Amino acid sequence: MLYLQLLLQIVFLTAVFLHITKKNFGAVLAYSIQSLMIVLLLLNSFLETQNTSLLWIMFIVLVVKVILAPLFFIKLIRKNELIFSAATYLNTPLTLVVLAVLTAMAHSYKFAPLTGIIPVNTGLLSLAFSTMLLSLFLIINRKSALSQIIGILSLENSIVAFAIFAGLEQSFALQMGILFDISIWLIIATSFMAMVYRHFGSLDATLMKKLTD
Amino acid sequence: MEILIILLSFSLAALTAITVRNKRIIELSSLIASFVGLVTSVLIAVKVSSAGGSYASFQFFFVDGLSAIVMLIVAFVGFGATVYSIAYLRQETAKNIIGLSNVSKITSRIREYFILLNLFMVSIFLAIVANSPILAWIFIEATTLSTAFLISFYNKPSAMEAAWKYLIVNSVGILLAFLGTLLYFTSFHTGMENGIITWQMLTNNATLLNPMIVKIAFVFILIGYGTKVGFAPMHTWKPDAYSKAPAPIGALFSGALMPAAFMLILKFKIITDSVAGTSFSQTLFIIFGLLSILIAATIIFVARNYKRVLAYSSIENAGIMALGFGFGGLGIFAAILHMIYHSLIKSALFFLSGNILLKYSSAKISNVKGAISVIPITAILFFTGFFIITGAPPFGIFFTKIVIFSAIVKTNLWVAAVGVALTIILFVGFFKHITSMVFGEKPADIKNGEDSVWLILPPLVFMALALYLSFNLPPFLNNLINYVVLHY
Repeated sequence: MLYLQLLLQIVFLTAVFLHITKKNFGAVLAYSIQSLMIVLLLLNSFLETQNTSLLWIMFIVLVVKVILAPLFFIKLIRKNELIFSAATYLNTPLTLVVLAVLTAMAHSYKFAPLTGIIPVNTGLLSLAFSTMLLSLFLIINRKSALSQIIGILSLENSIVAFAIFAGLEQSFALQMGILFDISIWLIIATSFMAMVYRHFGSLDATLMKKLTD
Repeated sequence: MEILIILLSFSLAALTAITVRNKRIIELSSLIASFVGLVTSVLIAVKVSSAGGSYASFQFFFVDGLSAIVMLIVAFVGFGATVYSIAYLRQETAKNIIGLSNVSKITSRIREYFILLNLFMVSIFLAIVANSPILAWIFIEATTLSTAFLISFYNKPSAMEAAWKYLIVNSVGILLAFLGTLLYFTSFHTGMENGIITWQMLTNNATLLNPMIVKIAFVFILIGYGTKVGFAPMHTWKPDAYSKAPAPIGALFSGALMPAAFMLILKFKIITDSVAGTSFSQTLFIIFGLLSILIAATIIFVARNYKRVLAYSSIENAGIMALGFGFGGLGIFAAILHMIYHSLIKSALFFLSGNILLKYSSAKISNVKGAISVIPITAILFFTGFFIITGAPPFGIFFTKIVIFSAIVKTNLWVAAVGVALTIILFVGFFKHITSMVFGEKPADIKNGEDSVWLILPPLVFMALALYLSFNLPPFLNNLINYVVLHY
């Protein structure tokens, strides 16, 4: 249990780091580490259940989220020299305050039915739910298109973590379908980022102001 | 078997567009696929009606009365959009609106269009007939992926921005819907070995669900799939995407995607109602419904783009449907009819907006004057469509609005009064824009005359069909609507 808690804490901390990092490379690395923790959580599920299909899912998550997606992003960053990505709507101290409030909210009794789905996992589910809220806030607070994409992927990671601890994992076929969707989404989002950069000369979403009419 | 035929025909059409370079063959294969989709959907709807409201095919497909109605809507709009797309893209190519000078690049862009159009049709049909909520989620997500590139079809910065906004907002929404869907599975304590959980299993197991979890789950579902429907305040992507996508794609968004996403919300609503009582979902439907009508009614006045006006009208109509489904009984009957009429008329209006764009080369309301003398048939149809969609008598939407608001009056006079007041405001806002477009002095450089009869026929047929259905419902459709009223 302690081992699982540590993995989930790393997932949570990477979400916090995504909020405070000033560099795109840092954000991509944090996402890669977060995804690796999800892989380890899946490995733990495999060891507990001996369900070999989990190994396949784990392998695909490893390839797509831990290796390929970060590589895509790094290639994009290098190609367009997008080193810094610090622009946020709230400054760092205020951002940290919001993160604290969101984390406290996720642990509050208001969400007790949600985090108490499996009573022994309440702490873990609260942490996974906090990560979801932090990821949602990342999408809203960051101006960079890359950060928005990483925010969505982090949200997806936190939902997966929540599902694992709530005992809501789906059948192999469905998980493959979901992973297929996510993979296609990644490819599309990455190519959109490249197109956005081509049209606007930046990945700063606030520079997109062509929709006035 | 019929469902497989539909899926196969659209998949083959997509494959043809991928492998063949001849534009005519691509157009023909898409046309055949959408026609097969239409005929087969009618056959399935008749079958569902005569079988008492449900039809199962293989392990993964299940069509009930509501899915059959949505399938019919999607098939009609899909067929109309395909016919219109062929004529529309030919005109755009001729007038160099697509924005590419190289012929081979234009052909490849048109191929992309038909690949994505057919993939969208496959995804949306699969989402409607999927027997499992997770499968339905996978295919609704696939519709986001297939349509994002269609919004950025013109490859302009504004189109790119609209597509980006669509991708981000809908991806967040769809992930929240995923979380909501998972929370409904807490009654199963699944584990991976249990296979696919179907809608029926979920309904049968509803009593084992924790009401508080179901309430939270339904909020996620309503926000998630509500983003696709375009409920305020998750509607922000809608005016941008509708205004920047090619006209037939706007028709598909409003006429096909919206009912499909609404259908999924309703499927979760019946499970929620059986666990948490009807008042919870009713309150949420009233909040989202009224907010949608309010936002649409206030923003429509300042809209400067006629496609955005159509988008706001869609948001308003989504709100009215939400109110109808929220209040139940006769309200549901009217809301379903409203959904059918809205899809037909709004698609027709989008097609007509395409005709206006082709003629005036501008989507700005201020640049369109004297349409009645330039493109008289389009202008008359557009004007008529405006009256129908805003609920003017004697068309169907007038009756559905009357019935929905009458159903509300019985239980909540204030909601009905606010709703009626807002729809009147929206009528005035819409009227202001449409009169300035249809009447007035036409610009000197615009030549009179419609571009093609094939750009007129689809909206004309859709409006005629809506008019026919306003006074005469085929028995099978009536049966299906009655099934929905009884079960939802």
